[in-house]
Formats: sequence, structure tokens, C-alpha cells
Amino acid sequence: MTSLSVTNVCKHYPTRSEPLQVLQDVTLQLAAGENMAILGPSGCGKSTLLHLLGTLDAPTSGKIELDGQDPFLLAEPQLAHFRNQNIGFIFQEHHLLPQLSVLENVLIPAIAEGNPSQEVLERAHELIGRVDLQDRIDHRPAELSGGERERAAVARSLLHQPTLLLADEPTGNLDRSNAQQVAQLLLEIQQQEQTMLIVVTHNNELANQLQQQRTLNDGRLE
Amino acid sequence: MSRWRSIIRAIPNLVGDTRRLAGLFRDRLARQFVWRSLKHHWRINLAVALGVAAATAVLTGALLIGDSTRGSLRQLALDRLGTIDEILITDRFFRQELATQLAAHEQFQAHYRTAAPAILFPQGTVETVPEEGQPNRAGNVLVLGIEPSFWELGTSQPTGNRAVGEGQIILNEPLARDLKAVVGTSIILRLPAEHQVHADSPMGEKEDRVESLTELKVSSIVPAKGLGQFSLRSSQGEPRNAYVALSTLQDKFRQEGKANAILVTGKSSTNPPSEEASQALNRLLQPQLEDYGLLIKPVELNYQTETGETKTVLKYFSLSSQRLMIDEKTESVARQAFATSGGQSVLTYLANSMVKLKEDGQPADGELVPYSLISALDPQDSPGPLKDQSGRTIKQIGKGKVVINSWLAADLQLSPGDRIRITFFEPETDYGKSNSAKPVDLEVQAIVPITEPDKPFGGRRPARYRKPPTTANDPDLTPEVPGITDHRSINDWDVPFEMEHQWIRGVDDDYWNHYRTTPKAFVSRQTGKALWSSRFGQVTSFRIPAKAGTTMETVEQQFVDQVHKSGETLGFEFIPIKRKALAASRGATPFDALFLSLSFFVIAAGLMLVALLFRLGVEQRSPQIGTLLALGTRRQQTGYLLVGEGICVACFGALLGIAAGVGYAQLMLLGLRTWWMGAVVSPFLQFHWTFRSLLLGYSLGVFTSIITIAWSVRSTSQTSVRQLLSGGTTQPSYLAAVGGGKTAIQSGLRRLMVPVMLLTAMGLATIAAVPSIATKLGSEGTAGAFMGAGVLVLAALLTSIARRLKQAYASDTALTRAPVLPRFATRNASRHPGRSTMTIGLVATACFLIASISAFRLDPSQSGKGGFELVARSSLPIYEDLNDHDKRVELFGDDTSKLTDTTIFSLRFQAGDDASCNNLYKAQQPRVIGVTPAMIEHFHDAEVPFSWAASAARGDQQLNPWELLRSVGTSQTGDQDDPVPVVLDKNTAMYSLQLWGGVGQTYSVDYGDGRTVHFKVAGLLANSILQGSLLISEENFERHYPDISGYRYFLVDTGGKETEQVAQLLENRFNDQGFDTRSSDELLASLLRVQNTYLSAFQSLGALGLLLGTFGLATVQLRNVLERRAELALMRSAGFAKRRLAMMVMLEHAILLLGGLATGIIASLVTVLPHLFSGGAAIPGARLALNLLVILAVGLLAGLAAVAATLRAPLVSALRGD
Repeated sequence: MTSLSVTNVCKHYPTRSEPLQVLQDVTLQLAAGENMAILGPSGCGKSTLLHLLGTLDAPTSGKIELDGQDPFLLAEPQLAHFRNQNIGFIFQEHHLLPQLSVLENVLIPAIAEGNPSQEVLERAHELIGRVDLQDRIDHRPAELSGGERERAAVARSLLHQPTLLLADEPTGNLDRSNAQQVAQLLLEIQQQEQTMLIVVTHNNELANQLQQQRTLNDGRLE
Repeated sequence: MSRWRSIIRAIPNLVGDTRRLAGLFRDRLARQFVWRSLKHHWRINLAVALGVAAATAVLTGALLIGDSTRGSLRQLALDRLGTIDEILITDRFFRQELATQLAAHEQFQAHYRTAAPAILFPQGTVETVPEEGQPNRAGNVLVLGIEPSFWELGTSQPTGNRAVGEGQIILNEPLARDLKAVVGTSIILRLPAEHQVHADSPMGEKEDRVESLTELKVSSIVPAKGLGQFSLRSSQGEPRNAYVALSTLQDKFRQEGKANAILVTGKSSTNPPSEEASQALNRLLQPQLEDYGLLIKPVELNYQTETGETKTVLKYFSLSSQRLMIDEKTESVARQAFATSGGQSVLTYLANSMVKLKEDGQPADGELVPYSLISALDPQDSPGPLKDQSGRTIKQIGKGKVVINSWLAADLQLSPGDRIRITFFEPETDYGKSNSAKPVDLEVQAIVPITEPDKPFGGRRPARYRKPPTTANDPDLTPEVPGITDHRSINDWDVPFEMEHQWIRGVDDDYWNHYRTTPKAFVSRQTGKALWSSRFGQVTSFRIPAKAGTTMETVEQQFVDQVHKSGETLGFEFIPIKRKALAASRGATPFDALFLSLSFFVIAAGLMLVALLFRLGVEQRSPQIGTLLALGTRRQQTGYLLVGEGICVACFGALLGIAAGVGYAQLMLLGLRTWWMGAVVSPFLQFHWTFRSLLLGYSLGVFTSIITIAWSVRSTSQTSVRQLLSGGTTQPSYLAAVGGGKTAIQSGLRRLMVPVMLLTAMGLATIAAVPSIATKLGSEGTAGAFMGAGVLVLAALLTSIARRLKQAYASDTALTRAPVLPRFATRNASRHPGRSTMTIGLVATACFLIASISAFRLDPSQSGKGGFELVARSSLPIYEDLNDHDKRVELFGDDTSKLTDTTIFSLRFQAGDDASCNNLYKAQQPRVIGVTPAMIEHFHDAEVPFSWAASAARGDQQLNPWELLRSVGTSQTGDQDDPVPVVLDKNTAMYSLQLWGGVGQTYSVDYGDGRTVHFKVAGLLANSILQGSLLISEENFERHYPDISGYRYFLVDTGGKETEQVAQLLENRFNDQGFDTRSSDELLASLLRVQNTYLSAFQSLGALGLLLGTFGLATVQLRNVLERRAELALMRSAGFAKRRLAMMVMLEHAILLLGGLATGIIASLVTVLPHLFSGGAAIPGARLALNLLVILAVGLLAGLAAVAATLRAPLVSALRGD
């Protein structure tokens, strides 16, 4: 059974005076098909926690395991592969590449490891259909609306059927209607794909739609 | 189109813009804004300033190189001449007191300081006397016979012992080095012997024309500085000089108190007196007849009556020349001087034989009269009109008629109406050989009686008459000829031709005893001129009647006065040597223009870098600009603020550029003194600067940079405020990229632009490659056309690339097909088409410069040598026909077989300035070579002819364009209307003489003695061993340089024989003449080395461009990476390993780099292709491949900076957008 285990994770950043403690003894568990919202005020360390979970940054102490594997023990190429295969990201700033079309943006995780196979291509088309962007498949990000961009980012994050889906304020830049639409899509797909989902947000409406709600306060997860 | 339109529209606003910009700097707030921006964005501003500095440095450096070349040539000219401003050098000795008289003149002292006599031999041969082994030899050495005060004429005194005593010689360092001589070494000095009669005339001495000074000890070796490198010719090469005491040479040549040169010093060592002063100097010189080599002799033909009274039959003054023939100019002066006093010109010639002809025209049986003198004169002229046997004055001698004296009439039993046949030698020899002319048959018109003297001639005593002699009894009609007139018997004559002694009878010796040189026959002046005139003259003497009051002194004064009146100088004309040297120092090739045109690409690269960096800086702060605009600042105002900032940066950068330009020029000069010395022959170049160059360089740097910056600012004005606020830049919209918004006409025009530019470029490249047109354009014009073609091809290709990049950006080719990474990289590279195009342009310019210049490197070719393995020059003339077998046997004895199959073309040679690429001075009197008919004929079917760059040959002449030199149906007087056809090397025409009109252009050389010869270019040789000289036909050579006898220039086709062996044989045999051979391969390589070395220097400019290109490329890539930090972080978060990401960034970099290389190579191919066809260039092959590999390696290394930045980028903060 796939699971995420975070145990006593701390994250300090060195400063000129003393280390800045962003996360302290954060512990959480999550199983496949489960989802969790992490709430908290700005600067409480939500995004930092998300980056640690996404292996983009390493904890100062503590342990993070996905399916029993500590990714921080891996060398950089293996860690990149691990991330490529197991983790999907959705950012508030969607980070779509402006020079690529919707399809190509969705294919980025595949391009990261070589040439996209026919199977992956079909998966990309399927995901684009699921996020209702089939009419926009060849469009560039500049020609999409905010909601469409976010949906394209959702499709991109799911290409490799990740074990863990991490979303950082996925509706932060959207109006209420679009936010609702994206939130529903995200949860639908998460359920269909039986992936773990952690959403960092301070949107209570979105948080309430998730199974668990945890709050991060002064670096501690409550 | 819209950009161009906006630029055109902007022009009328320029004045207003400038005013507003000036207003900006008066506004305190704006000033502060600009100042703070400058400080805040100091990094990017510094980078822009460095770009401006690079462009300014190259501009200023090029101008300073021009200054340095001119300054160094000027300094060299001044140094080697010291205080000597004017020099008189004649081809004969004159009284050295002329110098003293000149210096004592009041007018002289107004402009000049001293006048020192000297003896100069520009073509001496110096040889060491080794105790064992072979001697070392040096030909074409300038030998100076000097007084001790000579060294005081210099400005920088050479060190060492400068006194030169009897039996001593001083060598300058270059000569000592060549001879491997040290102080104490024994030296033999060989100089041309003093023979008055031209060697090319039958009476001229061919043997013993060398005077040797043996056992001279080297007393000192002076460095080649100051007068230690004194030279009559302007060349930056180190001259080889030998200095001996004036008295040593005077003794050797038996010319006590005489000199052949006067060195005149001025009052300022740097500013020679004016032309008027020079002309006045010539007027102050007062040579006498003796100095002109003329003799005046009082002639009296007397007899003593029985009463003892002396009666005079004939009395006149005879003016003759030590050279036997009176030259044309002297004759003209004499004719005018003595016209009123009844002067009579006479041409007396030696007939080899005279025989009576029978009625059938065959020689009558009986004896011939050998070796008789015949005078051509006007018989009724005074003094001494000729009278026939009846006492009647013979009014004129008819055409085809002859008047004989009674002795000859009696000897051959001739009466009026009889015909005689006269044989004689051609008045000019052929290869030193006196050839018999076609005999001439003349009818006896009259007989003039002569009186037999009572007492014949005895030694120097004239014959004595008791009976009245006749006017035909005059032996003084013949000038004094050493070897003939000073001998008691004909049999004793010492003549330079083979005498038929068996012809001489007793009666002939009797005649010699009684009458000596009294002519036996007379012909008219016209007949004499037709038969015996030559390039040496047509008169042997003038007879000036001795009227009352006429004395030798009055005759002399009459002549001297007429010399001054006529404006003729008769060889006594000062050469304003310093003024000429300074004029020549302005250089044959304007280095600044050449370096500027060839630096164009580096300057363009610098400016592109400025544009790129400035634009990056503007883009970097686009949100700030957007904020300013959003807050209500007008676009124009923000534009002014940015341009104002740019002006400050440009002014600062240009200041840095001036300093860097000085360094750049110094570095180039160091290169020209060391690695590239081949281009300038000797390491003489020193740094010189002028304020004008610095100011011009600075102004141009600032101006071009400001224009570039203003253009960059203008091009960002199309970005919307929203885009600016979001950090968006000039990234094209998808719509713009696919061509939306363009009308059909605009799109059509854009499409047309590239082919039009390419076609124009090809046209320009062809123009630069066609020799006849290229010559017309001149060196800078050709460089300009070539570079213009390059610019257009590059512009066309870059326009096309920019369009392709836009299309690639808009491409629907999904990244779904393999290989995906290169596709991805291409898409990334096309994201900023302008930026990428400019980067490609930067690399392409450097690559173009390096690749195209590589193609112009030339190696010696067979056609450049014309089939000759050796080129030789001798210090002293050689007269023999070196292809004549009998002569070879005579000259080389047993070694003759070593010359079997060897062909030697001996050519006439007039010494002069080297007009090859080896001489940076402008050749004022280039060397002239007289091409013999034999050589012209040789090229009818030569196996390896010279290659012609262009010629005026049409029809059959095209098979052998040398035929153009022959003067068919025209006199070729060398006047402006009738110029002499000349062939010269294309490089000589273009670079040295700047004859940009090519074939058909006329060119004149002023020889300073009133002689100006006009030439017309008939053909141009391509990269040949004949570079540096004017080549004319031998016939024209003899006409225009009559004083040159013999041959001094040789082309040797060894016919497969060992070249070294042939060279050794010739050098040993003609040791006395200073025969110096040089391998054609080596000579051609040395000439091509100049061009190749220049190319190396210009390639280094390409390297500088490459440096800028690489810097630009690295900057752009770094900027791209920094700009895309978030995207790259996203990619990593999506599982891109660092290596793959690095590979992608490197691929993007490589695409731009390879794009630049390919563009540069294609541009150089298009521009060089016509040159490849015309033979002016060659495919550089391995050398170019190596250069390109280096560029690639350097470029890829530069890409590592961007890769490192990619890998170093903090992932999390990038994702956050920090």
C-alpha cells in the first residue's frame, strides 16, 4: 500500500544572526487515495513543507519516506527520476512554458526522460480531454485563460500517474467560479487516479472539500 | 517595414529630440534619476560601457595605427637623412669647389647651412678577404666617399669610432652582418670604373669597367641609425652602406679635388626649405664646362709662308664631350648658345671600310680604305666652308651623296659621279657586341683638296704646313677619343672592337701620320643623323668661329649662360631628398583606412554587443519602465531617460575605449614588429599618436554607440505597458510570429529584401574580384567592396534567420517526435528571435572575417614565377649575351656544360624605388626594367607563362600580352599624348603606385632633371616575382633611359639544372659585377608573405570579433537562463535531471553558435567565390578547419557559463519567483 510518511521534519535556513526555523517536528502520514489540505497564514512554511515533500528541497532533520523509500538518500539523477515518476506538482503560478503548446507542456515530464512514447502521448491526450482542453491542445499559454492554464498544469502533473500530487495554492490566482471548477477537477482526478493529494492553501472553501485539514502554525503542524 | 518607416519618420524629429535630450540634463530630477539608474544598474551599464569601449578601441586603434605608420616612416626618413635636405648626385665627377662656392653664396645661407662634397656609388660590391674559405659578398651597397665632417650632418650620431682614414672602410651593421665582417676584416670594394664613353656604343669600353679597392680594413662598424642608415631611396628596409674617405676614392679614380655629389644641409632637421628655396639652390650652383664633362679647344689651322709668316686658314673653338657624343640636351643648349655666333654642329663617325663600286654596283677590284673618319656637317657653314677642287664652296651635300677628300679620291681613283660603299658599325652595340650595319652606297658629289703637311704629326705636335692647308685639312673635326687619337699608328689603336689589321696598308699609316683624324669624307647632317645618331646623341662637336673678341672664356660663359637661360640643368639638379622622403612617408597604403575597413566587422560586433547588452538592461527593468508608464510618464520621457543613461554610459565607455585603443594599437604594432614583421619588412614601427585621431575615435565611438542605444530603446517602445509590468519584453506574440498584421505588400517586400541583398552582395564581391575593376577601386575601395559584400550577405542571412526563428517559434511541429531535446532547444532559441539573431550575427561576423581572410592566403605558384627559377641583379652592368654559346664558352670555359638548357634573359635596369608590397613608402621613382624582344618572343610558347590579372590585349595578342610592350607604329615618346606602354604587377599598381584606373591608366614619373616620362598601363601581372618594377620594352627603355648601358636584371630558367649550382656558377663568374641571385620561390614567398602577414594581422581582428561574439553569446545565454529560472525549476520539479537540463541549455547555445558559424562560412563563401575563380584566393582547407574548430571550442566553453548558472540556480526560490 502506497503511503507518505513524514517524521519529525525540521527545516532551518541560515541567516546572519541565527538560523531561521521554518518547520519544526512536522509529522504526518498519508495513504493512497487520501487527500489533505494544509492551511496557515502567509509565511508559516506551507510552501516550504510542500517543496520538502516534493523533494525539491531537503529537510534539515527528520525523515520523509514515500512508499518506504527515503528519496533524499538518492543521488541527483536518481532523485530526478524518482520525482519524475512519483510526484506531481501544481503551482499557483502554473509555470507553463510559454514557448510550448498545451500538449507539449503536458508532455514535459515525459520529455524530461527522453522522447515521449506513443503510450505517453495517448495519456497526454486523455488528460487534456479530462481537463477539458482538447480544443486548446495546440494553443500557447499566452492564448489561454487563467483557469485553462491551471487546468493544463493539472494535466501536466498527472502525466506519469504520480503517487503524490502536491498543489500549492492551485486556485490562488483564479476567480471563484474558476477556482471551484479547478478544485473539483483536481479532486475528481485524484480519486480516479487513487493518488495522494496535499494541497497548500488558505482558501477554506477548497480545504473543506478535502478529507483532512491540518494547520501549520509557527512551523508546527497542528 | 514599420521599423524602417518609424526610423525615417524619426529623422525630422532628431533635432527636436536632441534639444529635448539636452533639456533632460538641465532637469535636476531627471539628472538624479539617470545618475541613480546608472549606479543601481551598474553591472549591466558597465557591460554596455565595455561594449562601447571595444568598438571605440578598434576605431581609435585603427586610426592610431595609421598615425604610427606615417609617424614612424617620417621619423625614419628624418633620422636617416639627418640635417641633409638636398642632394646633388651626378653621373660624372665635377670640381668639389662647386660645393664651397655654393655654400659661400649669401642666398644659400638664407635657407641652408652647409654644402659638403662627397662621392656616392649607389651600386657598389663589397667582398671580404678571408684567410681561408669562400669570401662573403654583398652587392648593391651604397658606397659613400666622405669627409670627416659627414657624421656631423646627422641628428642621431652613430656610436663607435667614426674616423675613416686611408686604406680603411666603415661598414654599417646590416652590411657587416651580411658579410660576417668585424673590425679589422679585410675588404675589397668594387666600383664602376670611370669610363666616359658609353659602353653600349662601339667605342665604349666593355672590359675593365670595374675599379677595385683592395685591402681596405674595417675600421669601425656603425649601427643602422642616423647616417649609419643613410639612403637615397625611401624604404623602411635597412640599407647596406660602406663609408670610405673621400680622398681614397679621389685617388683611386684619379679625380683629385673632384666629387660626384653635394650634400646640402638645412637649418631645421624636420622641416625642409620650400620648393622655391630648392629652385633657388639650383640657380646658385655654377658648374663650368669642365663640370659638364665638356671640353673646349681652340683650333687653328696655320701654315708658314716662305717668309716665315704664319697665316691662318681656319680658326675656331671646338666644343666636344668627354663622352664622344654630345647628348641631346647639351646639343640643344649649345645650338642655342652659339646660334648667333655661327656655330656649326659636326658628327664624325668611324667607317670600317670604303671601297669603290663598279657600274654594276659590285665593289671594284682593288684595295679598300680601312678605318676612316667621315664627318656629317653643313658644308657651307662657317667656320671653314668646304671648297671643291675648283675653289667653289660646296653649298650642300645631297642625299645619297658624299664629298671626299683628294687623298681618298687618289687612293681609290674616284671622280665625281663614282659610287663608293661604306661599311661601319651600328651606333649602338647589341649585348656589348659591335655589329656591322648594312653598308651604305654613296655617290661622290665632289672632291675637296687637302694639303700634305711638310712635317707630319709627331706625338702631341700638330702637322706643319708650308703650303696653305684647306678647310678640309682639319683633324679637329674628330673629337678626342682615348685609344685612337692618342696613338701614333692605326695599328696601335686600342679599340673595344675586333680590328681587321690585315686591311691596314702602308698608305693608311702614312695618312695617319700626315692627317691623323682628318675626315676622308663628308656627308650631309641629315645623312649622318640617319646613319650614326643614337640614343647617346647625334653630334660629336660644335665649331664656334673665333671672331674678334671671342675667347675660350667667352665661349664657355656663353654656354653656361645659356644653360641657366634655358632652364636645363644638364644633370646638375638638386634632389629635394628630405621633402621627397617626407612626401613618400605619407605611405603607399593608408593604413588607417585599411585597418578601419577591415575592422568594420569588429566595430559592428562591438556595436551589436552594445545593442544586445543595452537591450538586455532595458528588458531587465521592464517592470520599472512599465510602472513609470503606468504612473503617467510619457513613453518619450522614459525613452529620453534611457537614452540619457545610454549617453552617459557611451561617453564613459568611449573614454575606456580610447585607453584600450592606445593599447590595441600598441599591441598591433608589437605584432608588426615581431610576429607579423613580414608585412613591414623591418621592425621600425613605433607608436605615434595625434590628438585628431583620439578625438575622431572618441567621437565616432560615442556617436555610433548612442545611435545603437537609441535604436535599442526605440525598438522596445512597441511593448505594451501590461507586458512591461509583467516583465515581458520584446518576445514576439504568437500572432506576430506567424506574420499576422502584415499587409501582402509588406510581406512581399520583406521576402524580396533577402534575394536583393544577396544579389547586390554577389555583384560587389565580383567587382572586388575582377582584377581590372579591383585595380580601379584601389586597395581601400576593394576592401570596402569586399566588406560591403560581406555585410550584405550577413545581413541577408541574418534577416532570413530572424524570419526562420520567428517561424520556428510559431511552428506547430510538436515536441512529440524524436529527437525531442534538440527540438526543444530550437524552440527555446527561437523564443527571442531578435536576441538570438544578434547573437548569431556576432559569431557570424567573427567567423566571416576569419574564414574569408583565410581564403586570401596565397602560396607561391608556378605562374607567379613565369617559369624562372632564379632572379638576379648585378651591381654593375653585364654586357655579354649570356645565351650566346660562344660567349658562354668564353666566359665559363669548362663549366659551360653546366648551363646547357639554361636560358638567361638579361634585362635593362633603371635603379629606383622598390614599388613592391615590401616598401611602405610611396614609390616616387620606381625601378624600371627593359624587357628585351627575346623575352617577349619567349612567351609566345613558354611552358609556364606569367599569369595576367588584366591586360589590354585583344585578338592574337591575348596569346602573349607581352606583345603590348612593343611600339608598333608609334614613337612612344613618353609624352602625355604618347605614353609608354607598361606592364606591372597588380599589387604594385594597386598598393604602391595607387593606379586604380587599371589597364589604360596613365602614370608619370618626374625624374627631377626636367624629365617626365608618361606611362600607360598595358597589362597587370598577378602575384608575380616582377612585383615592384615598371616593365617596358627595351626599345622604349633605351629611348627614355639612354644613359643606362648593359644589363643588370636577369631572369634565369635553369632548364631542369640544379638551381643552386647555376646560381653559384653565375655569382662566381660575375663576382666583380656583384651578381646576386635569388631563388624565385623565395622571392615570391617573401612578396606573398607581406599579403599573408597582413591577413594574419586582420585575422587577429577576427579573433577580437570572436572574443566579443563569445562574450555576447555567453551574456545572452546567461540572461536567457536567468530569465527562465522559474521555467527551468519547473522542469526540474517535473523530473528533469540536472544533466539533461544542462544538455538542453548547451544545445540551445550550440544552435546559436553553429548558426553563427554556418552564417559566417556561407557569407565568406559567397564573397570569396569570385576571388576563387579569379585566382586571387584559395580554399584554405585544413587551416580554416582548425580555426573554426577553435571558434567552436571557445564558443562551447563560453556556453559552460550558462550551464553552470542553470545548475547553480536555487530551485525553490526560482519557483517562488524570488
